[in-house]
Amino acid sequence: MLKYILKRFMIMLVTLWIIITLTFILMVNVPGSPFNSDQSSNETIKANLEAHYNLDAPYHIQYLNYLKSVATFDFGPSIKQPNQTVNDLLGRGFPISLELGLVTIAVAVISGIILGIIAALRHNGFIDYMAMGFAVLGISIPNFILATLLIQQLAVNLNLLPPATWSSPAHMVMPVLALATGPMAIIARLTRSTMLEVLTQDYIKMARAKGLSPWKIVFKHALRNALMPVVTIMGTLLAGILTGTFVIEQIFAIPGMGKYFVESINQRDYPVIMGTTVFYSAFLILMLFLVDIAYGILDPRIKFHKKGGE
Amino acid sequence: MRKLLLFLLALATVAVLAACTANDDAGEDPADDAEAEETESSEGEGDTEGLEEESGEKVLRLNNGVEPTSLDPSIGFDAVSWDPLNNLMEGLTRLDQDSVAGPGVAEDWDISEDGLTYTFYLREDANWSNGDPVVAEDFVHAWKYMLDPNTASAAAFLAYFIEGGEAFNTGEGSADDVAVTAVDEKTLEVVLEAPTGFFLDVLTNPAFFPINHQVAEENPNWHAEADTFVANGPFMLESWDHSSEMVFVKNPEYWDADTVKLDKVHFAMVNDTNTQYQMFETGDLDTASIPPELSDQLIDGDNVYIGDYGGLEFYRFNTTMEPFQNKKIRQAFSYALNRADIAEYVVKNGVEPAYGYVSPGFTTPDGRDFRDENGDLVELNPELAQQLLAEGMEEEGYDELPEVVLSYSTSDTNKAVAETMQSMISENLGVDVSLENQEWNVFAEAQQNLELQLSRSSFINDYSDPVNFLESFVTDSYMNRTGFSSAEYDELIANGKAETDDEQRYEYLYEAERMLADEMIATPIRYYNTVVLEADGVEGILRHPVGYFDLKFADRN
Repeated sequence: MLKYILKRFMIMLVTLWIIITLTFILMVNVPGSPFNSDQSSNETIKANLEAHYNLDAPYHIQYLNYLKSVATFDFGPSIKQPNQTVNDLLGRGFPISLELGLVTIAVAVISGIILGIIAALRHNGFIDYMAMGFAVLGISIPNFILATLLIQQLAVNLNLLPPATWSSPAHMVMPVLALATGPMAIIARLTRSTMLEVLTQDYIKMARAKGLSPWKIVFKHALRNALMPVVTIMGTLLAGILTGTFVIEQIFAIPGMGKYFVESINQRDYPVIMGTTVFYSAFLILMLFLVDIAYGILDPRIKFHKKGGE
Repeated sequence: MRKLLLFLLALATVAVLAACTANDDAGEDPADDAEAEETESSEGEGDTEGLEEESGEKVLRLNNGVEPTSLDPSIGFDAVSWDPLNNLMEGLTRLDQDSVAGPGVAEDWDISEDGLTYTFYLREDANWSNGDPVVAEDFVHAWKYMLDPNTASAAAFLAYFIEGGEAFNTGEGSADDVAVTAVDEKTLEVVLEAPTGFFLDVLTNPAFFPINHQVAEENPNWHAEADTFVANGPFMLESWDHSSEMVFVKNPEYWDADTVKLDKVHFAMVNDTNTQYQMFETGDLDTASIPPELSDQLIDGDNVYIGDYGGLEFYRFNTTMEPFQNKKIRQAFSYALNRADIAEYVVKNGVEPAYGYVSPGFTTPDGRDFRDENGDLVELNPELAQQLLAEGMEEEGYDELPEVVLSYSTSDTNKAVAETMQSMISENLGVDVSLENQEWNVFAEAQQNLELQLSRSSFINDYSDPVNFLESFVTDSYMNRTGFSSAEYDELIANGKAETDDEQRYEYLYEAERMLADEMIATPIRYYNTVVLEADGVEGILRHPVGYFDLKFADRN
């Protein structure tokens, strides 16, 4: 097990290095500069700015600087918000995105699994159709549409909730609903289909024959196997939602880190691009790794290493 | 069941690990905890605010859209930084209720006969929010800091009017050679490179605000957080929750504090047009912009403020690429455009079509509007357009017009305008142009490198003088982007800046603008404007055509 983790860690480092290098190559090859502006300027001003941020150095020097900044996890100041370092931006934005993300994931996973189980147990019944109809809606309505509709109904028309910004639990309700609906629908559909498959297995028949109660069969015997595909998508889902989402954060004016992924690229804010890329990649790789570990726990047939399994 | 528990445990581990990485990423900064507390305490504040409002405090809720780039006056070179700064600080001069530069920190000033030396007398009662007096040295410090090449200020070129400013900024001169001196504590002397009739107006720009030199020497990052920020304007910075909210309170140290009616101003940072409009609807914001989709519905309402805004949307002809090296062909394209239709049906939101380059709102020495004075310089005239095209093609020996590509940076409005222009050119000129859009930054680079034939541009005034736009087209200017070069034009602009007789100066500017239209280096499309929804009871917000909004006289009933 330890050997497996070490090996995975090494692969993770190599993957990160490849990502950093590719990002750097793409970054310097995209035309444009952080100092382009519709506003008046001149050559001197641009040259001073480039010198200030070391962007006049040859590419290999810049590349080495980036590697150094990644190794020390110090990306320096943002170009577009020069009073703040990239670490400040991420350090402030990530906890907020994380808070929103964890609640969203909890809501999506719990309600998705319950919906999926109910649908599977009432297969082809009214509840099944209702649940799956709901799921299809959830998948097909983009979250930004849902977000705007929620604000219009719950905040503007009914005056139940604050429309936007981020300062109290009440502010969290609508963003969580808007964000959780899609993943919930996906989880519900996945749970339902694998659950249906599992319920036809011999060991379930055996359990029934033994006279176990239906709920015990579902929770003790069926659910664990049915959850495998759900766990599979959890890795990307977690990384995606926990690091913040650009659109939802923009609509609800949540000061998370989602916006930096998109805006840093539009603005050619190189340190922020590198910072967010490295952060997101490392986070995603870690999540995938944890998912692999979770497989082993859920399904003893999957072994990390010949000696490592149960 | 045990396995299920294990799974839940694994999930919990994921969560905990995730939280750990969060702390790691914060750079092991002990401030992290403090920050969390801060957010909590600001929640508490939110509650008390509700009470304060009931007790009769005047609170205005505005939206800044995004986090200010920087509240360092030399660095934050954009409206999102300068709108807040304009209310936190004050320069030597300040735009008054008629948008004219009037006394600010400087109570009075002398201008020498030759128009080169300005002597400013600072108010005795002008103080910083920490109680320090505002002294001449604060201006010397701020301006030299702005011009220092190591500061890398994007606004530095504004201070090239000052003798020695450009040399210091390009690294050829030194700070000591910049001709700004503190004669005594309350007297400041500035010597200019050349007479500049609009220098007092330039000084209203936030880049020229003073910096408390004692504070700045102690803590160069004084402007980054609310607790270290020192203000000398009508308001001071009470709290700044980055990317989330700024709260201003009335500055009791301001020399004209009696005029200031508001007790508190909240600046939200909501960057979504629909959301900020919805927040306006629920009363969470006192002003809002109009979402484009709702323009037709809302623009005629009683609560809409529409005002001039110094700026122009236009298209540049690249005179180094075929077929636009030919003046008549450039003119032909310009005569084919119906600007009134573009403004009214495509851009909407109450904008005015542009028949000249300098936008309305600039007052001439005899008190008239520059735009009215110099009249319409472009028009829709399909017949003339076709005739000019035929003549131009003959001059160049074209049997067929080389292919023309019209380029714009990606945005819904730009696209709509470009498509309309395409169909107008096809209809009125019989020429089919193709369209091309590029991501903004890629587009800006290509335009700068003269790679585009006919491309969209926008201009926003930096200071309130017609020469600001016109000087873009002097030879080799960074803002030229057309390949245009004319000694005659360069001379007109040089005179239009330095002539001390203001009436004569305006004559040069009229002529320069007419020449630009005749050469047809760029074709104007429409002027910018300011459109704001204001809640009932919001009064007195000054929105200058050039400059930044001013809450000094604002009231909230």
